[in-house]
Amino acid sequence: MLSSVPTRRRTRALTALLAAALLPASACAVANSDGAGDAGAADGSTLRIVLAQEPPTLEPCESSLTSTGVVVRSNISEPLIERDPTTGELDPLLATGWRQTSPTTWTFDIRSGVRFHSGAPFTAEDAAFSIDRAVNSDLACNVDGYVFEDEKLGVEATSPTSLTVTTVEPDPILPLRLSFVEIVPRGTSTEAKVREPVGTGPYAIAGWQTGVSITLHRNENYWGEQPAFPVVRYVWRSESSVRAAMIAKGEADLSTGLDPEDATEENSIAYPNNETTALRLDGTQAPLDDIRVRKAIGLVIDRQAIARTLFDGLGEPAAQLVPDGVVGYNPALQAQAPDHEAARALIEQARADGVPLDREITLVARNDQFPRVAETAEALQYQLAQLGLNVRILMTDTAAHLQYQLRPFPENVGPVALLIMHGNQAGDAAFTTSQYLVSDGPQSTFGTPELDARIDDAERLSGQARQDAFAAVLADQNETVAQYAYLAHMRGLLGIGDSVEYEPNPATGDELRLAAVRPAKGQGR
Amino acid sequence: MTTFLRKRIVSSAIPLVVVVLGVFILARLTGNPVDLYLPLSATAEQRAAFSAEHGFDQPILVQLWDYLGQVVQLDFGESLRTGQPAAEMVLEAFPATLQLAAVTMLIAIVGAVLIGSLAAYRPNSLADRTSSFLSMTAASIPDFWFAIMGVLVFGVSLGILPTSGVTGGPEVWVLPIATLLIRPFGVLVQVVRGSMVAALSAPYVKVARGKGASEKRVVFGHALRNATMPVLTVAGDLTIGLVNGAVVVETIFGWPGIGKLMIDSILQRDFAVLQAAVLLTAVTIFLLNILIDVCYALLDARVRQAVPA
Repeated sequence: MLSSVPTRRRTRALTALLAAALLPASACAVANSDGAGDAGAADGSTLRIVLAQEPPTLEPCESSLTSTGVVVRSNISEPLIERDPTTGELDPLLATGWRQTSPTTWTFDIRSGVRFHSGAPFTAEDAAFSIDRAVNSDLACNVDGYVFEDEKLGVEATSPTSLTVTTVEPDPILPLRLSFVEIVPRGTSTEAKVREPVGTGPYAIAGWQTGVSITLHRNENYWGEQPAFPVVRYVWRSESSVRAAMIAKGEADLSTGLDPEDATEENSIAYPNNETTALRLDGTQAPLDDIRVRKAIGLVIDRQAIARTLFDGLGEPAAQLVPDGVVGYNPALQAQAPDHEAARALIEQARADGVPLDREITLVARNDQFPRVAETAEALQYQLAQLGLNVRILMTDTAAHLQYQLRPFPENVGPVALLIMHGNQAGDAAFTTSQYLVSDGPQSTFGTPELDARIDDAERLSGQARQDAFAAVLADQNETVAQYAYLAHMRGLLGIGDSVEYEPNPATGDELRLAAVRPAKGQGR
Repeated sequence: MTTFLRKRIVSSAIPLVVVVLGVFILARLTGNPVDLYLPLSATAEQRAAFSAEHGFDQPILVQLWDYLGQVVQLDFGESLRTGQPAAEMVLEAFPATLQLAAVTMLIAIVGAVLIGSLAAYRPNSLADRTSSFLSMTAASIPDFWFAIMGVLVFGVSLGILPTSGVTGGPEVWVLPIATLLIRPFGVLVQVVRGSMVAALSAPYVKVARGKGASEKRVVFGHALRNATMPVLTVAGDLTIGLVNGAVVVETIFGWPGIGKLMIDSILQRDFAVLQAAVLLTAVTIFLLNILIDVCYALLDARVRQAVPA
């Protein structure tokens, strides 16, 4: 009894301490109440899109990064020229016309009457500034590496409505390359990348609540046709099942990248997404330095079974790195059923010549590269083991995978079979060959001088001659180099609710044009 | 008490320093993040310039020394990924996690004390068996499964709760809190029940009853006070786990907290943000540990006396 007073005091102190520990957060509310969910209510005037991840930045010169480009491209900022993702045709956008005025010079007619979101008029000076900023500056823009490699451009605004671009070597696809450069106004920083840019597009950034949502408002002074929705709100959920649930519940109208197990006929549309999966075989390391072994791997892989079962039919067995629709696609190269007999014969020849077939090959794949990637790696390991090859699987995250994917490659890691997924969003095989096929390409482990020369020749051509030359390059790669054992041309799944109409195209995963989304018939606004 | 506190601060500070240094060094062992941030065409000069700009070309100890020098000036660097100040990103994300952790633990502790005490009051009764069964089930359910099922059942099928997100009324809290709550609640009910069963059979409880104290006073005034220590230990441990980032809940429900930020920073080799996040959570855990120790000392004189002056 005597101790009861101090004990009570202690208890009160304890209670106060616990309260102090548990309640500091109550003042700083994260959740707030201004509608139905992060993406807003289904009021018909807001288009609600759920992405797989928050864009790290909306910097237009980073728009070749999927997570940035899907929001920015042709929505907030626009390029001079737009490539139709279905037909491959180049359409005028901020440039009304273009022509090759000398072997190394292209001239562009710049659209007049266009204003940036800030109200400033758009002129050829802005176009020159934007190209210079993206390609020639020290900003290290991703679009520079993806589209221009190490090409430097001479850019000059010869009048407010005329722009000339010169290249060191003749570049027949310069207009296509420039379709990746988004235009920003003069005065945009050239020292640092900008997180929230100003553009000329049909939508302007109205707000970015970090971690929660990005809101765009329709640009009422847009030079072209007004898009249907006054407001667009992006939110992000990394779980595909949650994105699918948001579509099912009506909390979102569109969702990028659903997994097959979350998709139903009611909530999604499948579309070819220009991505191709393949095993890249390091031809500098035994036993993969023997073309018979590489060809045997290509022969033994059951890509039909993988596409049918692991990809749920959302993949077409492939025999080249680019899908149909890309300039250079070779229709004569068709995926064949596995030929175990021919594969074993090649392996036996290699064995007879002393190729160390028991040397451990590391099959490197990336988590979340595509749905069921781990199971795909296991299936490949099993199929290669049928040839007597000793394959170990290494699953990595993106950063570690990049070390295997890009030069300089890691040393002393033995022979590597890297599971790649290559997306040719530019629509021309040159973007594939310069990266994956030439001997010193940033993502190529080896090649041959002959193939390099053929690629070099093909890059100078245009029209049908270009198509034929690249088709021959792709066939030659399979015949004389065999750096790749192909799996499938992939298909993506777009989640779509009842409230909107949208027809996905091969570029949808990288560039979701908001102007192409319309309210479903019967949905008033 | 001051001596006790001083000793506890010193001994708790050691792991804090070890964690901060460990994360700094381990993060750098994963390699230079140059490939993630420079374009494919980056020249050797550009790669070198990137490394030099961020200090990645320096020996690790030099980098560590520079980092500590900046931290002393409260400069935590900039995110490689977003270009924003790391401190700003971390301070923006941390309250979201703290809110979840605070509400979850408050509900878990209060609920577990009530139910655990009720179960212990009549061991092997129907109430006891039911609560034991349910709490064991709760403690065993994987949180990611529970979260996804919650989204499908309450979000989609019944349509009574939002699937995810932080914008809205109290309803947006229900699924994240329920997911976070289920395991701590299950564990704490078991712990409260166990220690209350022991406390209620102790001689002093018989004495209190003999003196004619009310049952409410016997259970909550006498037995519960003595049964608190193990509960405090486990609750403290669970709270620290939640403050460390409720990664599953944050990922599934799109809750912009520190756990998700840390995971993204690790995947993107965004060292400045990772270090700032680890430092902030380590300091918070350090403070929580001190708080728990103080609670021990207030509850039990033996703890205070065990530390020599």
